Amino acid sequence: METDKAQVVVIGGGATGTGILRDLALRGIPAILVEQGDLAHGTSSRFHGLLHSGARYAVKDKEAARECIEENMILRRIAPNCVELTGGLFVQLPEDDPQYADQWITACTEAGISCAEADVQELIKKNPVLSPNVTRAFKVPDCAVDGFRILWGNVNSARRYGARVLTYHRVSAIHQSNGRVTGVELINQLNGQKRSIECEMVINAAGPWGGEVAAMAGLEVNVIKDKGTLVAYNHRLMNMVVNRLRPPGDGDIFVPHGTITILGTTSTTVDDPGCTKPGHDEVLALIKIGQEMVPELESYRLIRAFAGVRPLYQAGNATGGRSVTRNFALLDHQQRDGLAGMVSIVGGKFTTFRLMAEKTVDLVASKLGVNAPCRTAREPLMTPVSEELLERGKKVFGVPGARKAAERLGDSFAQVVEQVEKNPDKGRILCECEVVSLAEIEHAAHSGDSFTLGDIRRKTRMGMGTCQGTFCSYRTLGALSGYPQFAGNHWEYLTKFLQKRWKGMRPVLWGQQLREAQLSTGIYCTLFAMERMR
Amino acid sequence: MNKYTDVLIIGAGLSGLMAAAKAAEQGKEVMLVAKGMGAVGLSSGCIDLWGYNLEDPNQVCQDPLAEIARLCAVNPQHPYARVRDVLEESLLFFRRVCQENGNPYLDHRGGNWLLPTALGTLRPTYLAPASMAVGDLQQVRGVLVVGFRELKDFYPDVLAANLKKSGVLQADCPLNTLMVCAGGGELTPNTLAYRLENPAVVDRIVDQIKPHLLPGAVLLLPPVLGERWDSQVAKNLAEKLGHPVYEVTNIPPALPGQRLQQMLLHHVKGQGVEVVIGCTVNGARVADKRCTEVLATGAGKPIKISAKTVILATGSFLGGGLESKPGKAWESIFGLPVETGHEKWSARDFLSMAGHLFNQMGIKVNEHLRPVDKTGEVIIENVMVTGANLAGCNHPIEKCGNGVAVASGYKAGKLAGEVGE
Repeated sequence: METDKAQVVVIGGGATGTGILRDLALRGIPAILVEQGDLAHGTSSRFHGLLHSGARYAVKDKEAARECIEENMILRRIAPNCVELTGGLFVQLPEDDPQYADQWITACTEAGISCAEADVQELIKKNPVLSPNVTRAFKVPDCAVDGFRILWGNVNSARRYGARVLTYHRVSAIHQSNGRVTGVELINQLNGQKRSIECEMVINAAGPWGGEVAAMAGLEVNVIKDKGTLVAYNHRLMNMVVNRLRPPGDGDIFVPHGTITILGTTSTTVDDPGCTKPGHDEVLALIKIGQEMVPELESYRLIRAFAGVRPLYQAGNATGGRSVTRNFALLDHQQRDGLAGMVSIVGGKFTTFRLMAEKTVDLVASKLGVNAPCRTAREPLMTPVSEELLERGKKVFGVPGARKAAERLGDSFAQVVEQVEKNPDKGRILCECEVVSLAEIEHAAHSGDSFTLGDIRRKTRMGMGTCQGTFCSYRTLGALSGYPQFAGNHWEYLTKFLQKRWKGMRPVLWGQQLREAQLSTGIYCTLFAMERMR
Repeated sequence: MNKYTDVLIIGAGLSGLMAAAKAAEQGKEVMLVAKGMGAVGLSSGCIDLWGYNLEDPNQVCQDPLAEIARLCAVNPQHPYARVRDVLEESLLFFRRVCQENGNPYLDHRGGNWLLPTALGTLRPTYLAPASMAVGDLQQVRGVLVVGFRELKDFYPDVLAANLKKSGVLQADCPLNTLMVCAGGGELTPNTLAYRLENPAVVDRIVDQIKPHLLPGAVLLLPPVLGERWDSQVAKNLAEKLGHPVYEVTNIPPALPGQRLQQMLLHHVKGQGVEVVIGCTVNGARVADKRCTEVLATGAGKPIKISAKTVILATGSFLGGGLESKPGKAWESIFGLPVETGHEKWSARDFLSMAGHLFNQMGIKVNEHLRPVDKTGEVIIENVMVTGANLAGCNHPIEKCGNGVAVASGYKAGKLAGEVGE
């Protein structure tokens, strides 16, 4: 069995875990992050993609609101290529309690969130999909954020300082001796091999799996698993994030991302942290509520539905849902349970991941006797792509293709542009919906942590557009079939990828997307007879 | 603008074109209007009739006609049960039209061909254009898969790896791959097919392939060998190489389906059919269970068309013949009912062997292809329904889409003007 050593092992490759890894690395603490799947395969890729201003929490959760606005401003500064400065709106409809607005304005002001009343007529002119019945509207500093990109930014930054990442490694045991954690045991999810890491400290940042991880060390952490379903429209319906001005509820936020819009979410307590099946009825309910803000919603094309599990935490026994705080909690298991060398970071939300990491690493560093201060709020996540490099990119990918690739690739954009300059054939676009080139796909395949077509998708957005992988998954397989990790069972690679896409398409199979589904089954069954391939 | 015709066909897919060809042959005045080029251009270009055994759906069916006879007994709701009386003559008619237009379709001694795809799988089909009709792969003494550098939709190594795994080749059969250059740049299947119509380009490809040929080898290429329906590219390439050359099925766009459509369009125009492409039918007037006129828009102008018989060949959801909302589906011109069942429209597994309900949705018809309601009562007497518009066919799994289109289109064309008028 392979044995590694690191001072700290971080469990969980979501926003919080990768944020912690970066913070540790920047303070010079040797660490390994372990993740059971690919990075961001869980909650951190299954949300609105909303960088909260905090306004949503201002009335009920003042502390969370204040943290949100502070972190919002920090992320804009350190990760400008991951944040789209859309701005946000809170709109009130005739059926909403007008008194809530006053309460909300006061709360926002107290939390330090700017909320300026907007001219409703002008807003509707700029965002014509909005209901003409909007009574009042306020502008807040909400943004759209790309979860995948932030996570990879964290990891790449941490790696530059010597940190390591093991994806597809599930923790199977947490070893302890004399009341102190000594290491973890892992199982490689792709080949079943075991591996162990000796360490002084384990940080449990496993999100919805936080309770399961704690249980391996014999501890009880009550993580409430709250499933939220979201839908993705194949249009940019509006240019700003749009929230409903009333107490937070289902289906009251729209977030534009590039060419699509995400509407969500629902809230249901579940038992399984891996329960990411979007429900058909939940989707219909979302659309119904969304229609109050966007009356023509039914006529727009949906591309898929997806669901994520919020890991909520409330000390003691809470049932779950909207009433549970969105605050995070840092549990020192030495103090709480008498087990040295383990902390859990639970609850919270994507917007505040950096702060959660900072607080966690502050505690861990003090336990390890490290004095280095946190630098993650000051140091940029990646070097911005220069104008000169972008110009070179435009020559090989065209203007929109170069912009998208530069945003996705950040620090790696230069390498990919260089590849295409050397070999123009590599500039061909394999995923037309998201304008992903062969060179970019090869770059992702070379990275050392792409084992499936899904991993390539999360790194490049290949397969996430209108066709949902119907054309580009086959092309990507073809282009990568010479790579050892894609040379084996083509049926399995393609089937797994297509099945994941299918899971999200099924709850929205009508209108245009049903046509797409018919084309997709036509290609893989009628033309390729793949249903009988073995 | 007002138009009058004996037979109006809506849709330029395989069933619409078959209906036009047959009705015109019987001396009817025929008009064909279509929004676009029809889904046959997205198809393999082969006529899949029936792929597998009813009892063992993993076994390739050796006698599709006999299997369809059995099918009609066990599943009288299948579209084949409505067209079985004309199935064989429709196939003969189809082959005669193809022959006359220089794009012959070959059968495999009455059984199924087992033709390779770009994914290296094998698919059963009844009739194949000569350019696709690979004989028994078990017998070949070598395979060379040739791809084009300019084309991003075809990967010889994927085809070769999976064909080898399929076990159809003899164990010692050499299986090689080769990439050739057709002049550089990036080309779509259509632009590459156009380029290959130039004999000088074909010569340069021949030069690149020749050094890699082994005795007795057959060549498999992507479906781009020529743009025109009567293209000789595959034939010329084979003659110059001295080895048989075949196109395999691939993701759309692929030329064999487009050639089939072009050929049939050419044929029906030659038969005097008035063809208007780019004409969207938005609705129809129906009185006393008869369609009195359809309302269309062509080149921005409204057109009213009256016809004795209207043949609805507008396709399924993909073709735009059917539309849907959550929990509800309907036919798009006449609003004919489409049964959606109480079950889910799709199966949990994308590649489910049971198929998806949405692919079986469509319009119920009687033995004269007239749309009927739940009780079997005809809804509109002078309308006939063909092809993918028909309910009850699980074509992606059964491999019968183009077969149903040929037979139902032919039958509608034959019946036009005979029944109910």
